[in-house]
Amino acid sequence: MASDQDLVVETVRDILGGFEPFVLTADRRWDSGLWSALASAGLTGVGLPESAGGSGGELADAVAIVRTLAAGAAAVPVAEQLLVAGPAVVAAGLPLPSVEEPLTFAVADSVSAAPAGEGSTLSGTALDVPWAGVARHAALLLPGPALALVDLSGVTAGSAYNLAGEPRGSLTLDGVPALVQPLTEGQAQELRAGFALARSVQLAAALERVLDWTVQYAGERHQFGRPLGKFQAIQMELAEMAGEVVAVTALVDAAVQALGRGSSDVVLAAAAAKVRAGAAVEVVARLAHQVHGAIGFTQEHKLHHLTRRLWSWRDEAGTELVWSRVLATGLLADGGDGLWPALTRVV
Amino acid sequence: MSNSLVLAPAPRSEAAEQVRAEVREFLAAELAAGTFRTHVDTWLSGVDPSFSRRLGERGWLGMTWPKQYGGHERSAMERYAVTEELLAAGAPVAAHWIADRQSGPNLLRYGTEKQREEILPRIARGECYFVIGMSEPDSGSDLASIRTRASRDESGDWVVNGAKVWTSNAHASHYGIVLVRTSPADPSNRHAGLSQLLVDLSLPGITVNPIRILDGGHHFNEVVFEDVVVPGDMLLGTEGDGWHQVTAELAFERSGPERFLSTYPLIAEFGRRVADTGDAAQLAALGRLSARALALRQMSLRIAAALDRGELPNIPAALVKDVGTTFEADVIDEIRRVVDVTPSLDSPDPLARALAEAQLHQPGFTLRGGTNEILRGIVARGLGLR
Repeated sequence: MASDQDLVVETVRDILGGFEPFVLTADRRWDSGLWSALASAGLTGVGLPESAGGSGGELADAVAIVRTLAAGAAAVPVAEQLLVAGPAVVAAGLPLPSVEEPLTFAVADSVSAAPAGEGSTLSGTALDVPWAGVARHAALLLPGPALALVDLSGVTAGSAYNLAGEPRGSLTLDGVPALVQPLTEGQAQELRAGFALARSVQLAAALERVLDWTVQYAGERHQFGRPLGKFQAIQMELAEMAGEVVAVTALVDAAVQALGRGSSDVVLAAAAAKVRAGAAVEVVARLAHQVHGAIGFTQEHKLHHLTRRLWSWRDEAGTELVWSRVLATGLLADGGDGLWPALTRVV
Repeated sequence: MSNSLVLAPAPRSEAAEQVRAEVREFLAAELAAGTFRTHVDTWLSGVDPSFSRRLGERGWLGMTWPKQYGGHERSAMERYAVTEELLAAGAPVAAHWIADRQSGPNLLRYGTEKQREEILPRIARGECYFVIGMSEPDSGSDLASIRTRASRDESGDWVVNGAKVWTSNAHASHYGIVLVRTSPADPSNRHAGLSQLLVDLSLPGITVNPIRILDGGHHFNEVVFEDVVVPGDMLLGTEGDGWHQVTAELAFERSGPERFLSTYPLIAEFGRRVADTGDAAQLAALGRLSARALALRQMSLRIAAALDRGELPNIPAALVKDVGTTFEADVIDEIRRVVDVTPSLDSPDPLARALAEAQLHQPGFTLRGGTNEILRGIVARGLGLR
């Protein structure tokens, strides 16, 4: 299917071709070479306005980049920068740091801001910060609510990792200078939803790639004298995986469109996308490993680069439980009889 | 992913939202007047010819067909909105459902001018109902193995012998599109020698025997043909091309919102319960079900948009039906895990009644219109595995 995003996707794929995914460890926490290559090509500022120091382009371009990198298990904070932190900083009227330096986002419920001179200082600990120790700046959603932009040089990052080895450590902030801008409750919730939608976009792309890998493997691996994919039992499993992938793609695409047109239901659309994508991980990751057999259970095979990310991303940016309750509560805002009108309005 | 499975996103349709609002208003008035009560799975069980005629009067049947045949030349997206609203309300739409969904489009595609002129306007008025004549006592998933035979007599008419089963509402319908073998089975090409006949169900030699489903309801039938003489001009399409025609018909049969909304009235009842209790586990369950329903809507809307583009998306339709009918059944399990309610058809509690209706209809969801195993085989072909 041809689209306006084909060119940008092709560019990202060309760059990605030179950077194979690797097992992330405490010594090698991200792919700095890939980041530099993407930044040099202007891809770490796509979707952010040129007037603010971004590279310009549409939301759809940024989403296409995030999808392509997620499917390639790229260890770079591009989803956070292009879809969450970057747009939040710009919308809040704060100065966007250089897009060539990684900017991350976290919900920091235990961090508070105090006025200091013309700016503010932050105190407290931000937990589960994506790419802590890697990102140069962070946009933090503070209670209040408010958005804080903080330079992380000199800030200590704890060492914690998600199931895929991606840094998710804490940031200990002890009177660290920051720029702070108040937000409305609605803006704060849309920011949380944007984070969830960014993870949903990554999930959708990784789910699709895992299906592709599994179909390909079932065609190559022979047992009992024929390819696995010729066995009906395997065909049923692959078809079930395909059903999940198509469902997630359809809903995530619709939620991205809702975001793009500024829909007032974007929080519910993102909540639904995140819940649906998380549910698909159960089926797709389990069956992908089942079809791949023992080799897929090792670090020698590439499958884990995506399945471990799927298991991580589904509960990041708000767990499935949290977003399922947000979704149901929002759909029932007009009472039980309002459920159907809400379902036909959200996306 | 394989391109045969992926459809472009559906454009938003203002016209569809407008007709949706009109249907909603109509349904609210009908419910207020007490002309129907909401039930689960009413596209199988809710036969009400007067309701069907009222839909016809409003132009909500035959919506996408040419005006010259009584249609309204509206988009598949508009038709989608109408059917979705009727299903969500649990309205009695079974009388006309098959005729409007697939028999009419089949006639438009393959029928003679005479067949179209005589029958399509009556379907669009909500007066003429159809049954699907595919399955037989010994042929379910293996449709190509059917044995109902039709042979030409000396005057060129067809003489039909055999039996069809699971023919929903044959006792309340006027015609069947019956798949018959018109030349002997060819082991080297199992799909050859099949044809579709347009059969008036009032013809001599046809017997309709009821088959009751689990809740005691009479929707299914066995239709027996004993030397039934069908006029020669009632062949539908091309002799020997029946398999191809059936495949085209299945794109309509498998792609609509009835493949994920059969148990929506149960979700609606559950939603009213959760709005009262605010229970955390129930909210989470409703959220999970809603996310699945929202994804299915987008998948189904993409198919409607593909139909508007003139495509017949058989493989995506099979996939949506697999995912959607699995959802229809899962709805029951998700809800019963989080409510302290015993299902009962005669309970004063509407949630208990809806759970009971859904449970007793559930085995049909993943069987009718092609079992999910058959559908997954089609999806596997789309993935390039067969």
